Amino acid sequence: MSAITSPASTRAEAGSRSYSWLYWLWILALTAVFGVGIATGIYVLQNGLGVTNLTDELPWGLWITVDLSAIALGAGAFTMSAAVYLFGLKHYEAVARAAVLVGFLGYTSAMMALFLDIGRPDRFYHPLIYWNVHSVLWEITLCVVLYATVLVIELLPIVIESTFLKRFGWLVKLAHGIHRLMPVVALLGLGLSLLHQSSLGATYGILTARPVWFSPTAPVLFILSAIAAGASLTLFVTLFASMVTRKQLVPPQILRGVAYFIAAAVLGYLYLKLWSWAATNYYSEIPEQQLGLEILAVNTPYNYTFWFGEVLFGAFIPAVILLWGRLRRNPRAVMVACFMIIVGLVINRWNMTLSGFVVPLDWLPGEASLPPNTYAPNLIEYLVSAGIVAYSWLVYSLAVRFINLYPDERPLQPGEDVQML
Amino acid sequence: MTDQTPNTNQDNAQPNAAQQQEIQESNTRLLGRRDFMTLLIGGGTSFVLATTLAQPLETLLTPFMQQRVNSGHGHGNEESPYRWGMVIDLSKCVGCDYCVYACQATNNVEDGMRWNIREDDVTQTGNVYHVTRPCLHCNNAPCVTVCPTVATYQRPDGLVVMDYDKCIGCRYCQTACPYGARSFNWDSRDEGAAAPHSPEFGRAEVDTRPRGVVEKCTFCVHRIDAGLEKGLMPGVNAEATPACVNICPTTARYFGNLKDPNSTVSRLIRENPTLRLREDLGTDPNVYYIPAEGMVV
Repeated sequence: MSAITSPASTRAEAGSRSYSWLYWLWILALTAVFGVGIATGIYVLQNGLGVTNLTDELPWGLWITVDLSAIALGAGAFTMSAAVYLFGLKHYEAVARAAVLVGFLGYTSAMMALFLDIGRPDRFYHPLIYWNVHSVLWEITLCVVLYATVLVIELLPIVIESTFLKRFGWLVKLAHGIHRLMPVVALLGLGLSLLHQSSLGATYGILTARPVWFSPTAPVLFILSAIAAGASLTLFVTLFASMVTRKQLVPPQILRGVAYFIAAAVLGYLYLKLWSWAATNYYSEIPEQQLGLEILAVNTPYNYTFWFGEVLFGAFIPAVILLWGRLRRNPRAVMVACFMIIVGLVINRWNMTLSGFVVPLDWLPGEASLPPNTYAPNLIEYLVSAGIVAYSWLVYSLAVRFINLYPDERPLQPGEDVQML
Repeated sequence: MTDQTPNTNQDNAQPNAAQQQEIQESNTRLLGRRDFMTLLIGGGTSFVLATTLAQPLETLLTPFMQQRVNSGHGHGNEESPYRWGMVIDLSKCVGCDYCVYACQATNNVEDGMRWNIREDDVTQTGNVYHVTRPCLHCNNAPCVTVCPTVATYQRPDGLVVMDYDKCIGCRYCQTACPYGARSFNWDSRDEGAAAPHSPEFGRAEVDTRPRGVVEKCTFCVHRIDAGLEKGLMPGVNAEATPACVNICPTTARYFGNLKDPNSTVSRLIRENPTLRLREDLGTDPNVYYIPAEGMVV
């Protein structure tokens, strides 16, 4: 926020001069982390997944969490596109472009994580040619690939009209053509997103052998949390960039609309989450699930991360901030709320992934039970994940600088703060 | 920004903020009466259309779907005279691990990736006994359902097997299997090395699997297929029978055709109380256990 140290007079001048050396330092740092991530990724490709801390008993870990979180945080793209092109809320184009970029970065990040996380990256296209229509993961793969294409189509006109590409007449014509097709593209995006964002929850929810996972609410909880967190990330980066660049990037009433939208989605998520818990843990008891939750409580901080990380700080308090007028008018409070929702979502995806694996399978016919499974990511897994996060921040930072990402932006007056309504 | 696009009104910073806000608020209103009626009629029409079209569409699409899904869920489309199954007598098992080692030697399986394992279990009355667990070759195999590439599938004769050339190594089958019966090749195998526990417990009869794919017990499918071609009967002739069954010193394991009422396995299931692991999950395994002393069935 204090990245701009130059005096107000130079600040007011539009153009590249308002980007200080701190900006380039930031870009350099991100590039370095991304580079380390790529180098580590190549090491993983050469040596196989044996270099991770994953095991046969706990085969999915940090990278799956990154992948699930990135896809969920990219969900702002489909909701905002649908708002603008399907529900006629044209003014939301002020933030929809940024949402589409965030979505694109989320999905490409997820694809990078998945590419490394499968044992045979050279066969990544196999689900496209060997169909198993009964597999929820097959459906997800197809939807993610198609939706990534939708995001590229949505992003293309923005990139063309604000870079050197606009010198090519046929490209500009293409951009106009795409723009006219936008309602269709947005409808496709909406359908595909509703499908796979939910199916990601179903990935865990359908597994009858894992009592902690098995739940019909998992798909709905996944999509509701994704809708809330996706818009949160878009709002967070928009406000952050507004403060750093000293611009009102998006008009305040649009920001308020997004904040209300997030609050509504969070409340819906919270409602279903609490009832999902109450119906299966409080008003009734499934012995296997109870035992699983006890094992989790003893072996992991699951109870605390669930109630504090996911419910209280990840959903309830942010919803209060976004709905309480005095707090919502403060852009910093809104940023805190968005950040809490984002962190809450990542904790949720981590808990979802780990909980079902930590509780051991119960196939022995007698009284004995297998030991609980443990997992902690190692340095290689962390470095790759950091590289993927750095990639998305890097591209976003460059886009704010070089692409007309916020069509309704205006510079802030000296001493003026970013406005929220 | 770098480009002076026409829609960025940088000069007139705040023109009539209140007025602009009002206009935008009216533009951002969600649902008018007209929109509501449109939605209602549109929704109703779609519903009627969907319900009338569902049946013809299904008959139209089903052949196409079946063509794409070459193995699909559950039993294969073709009929087979065989359904291979195993009976494991827990009251006879002494926990010597011979079946574990024979499997490793025959199928070239490393210690950390055992297809066939032994666990110690205890009855409600405190009687300790041993459970050995191959892949149960479920008729409703969760691993087959979840595989995104049909790399694992069930043959018409009931065997759940892997196509190592299709597997992408996503490990969803490991996640879905209720019995932990699947191993992933985390590291590359040394192809020249002798199989574990060979030659004492047998010699490798199949190739090692490449890094990055999942593998599992096959009921020694290579022996079954080769044996049938020679006119041998799996479960009767040792050459056509899984290695773990042949080596068992207490004959706690039996193998055979569950579709043949006169096979040993069918007879044992008829004459003894049996249990299958996690029958509550509806996986319908083809491995039956005769309970140990003191077990409640």
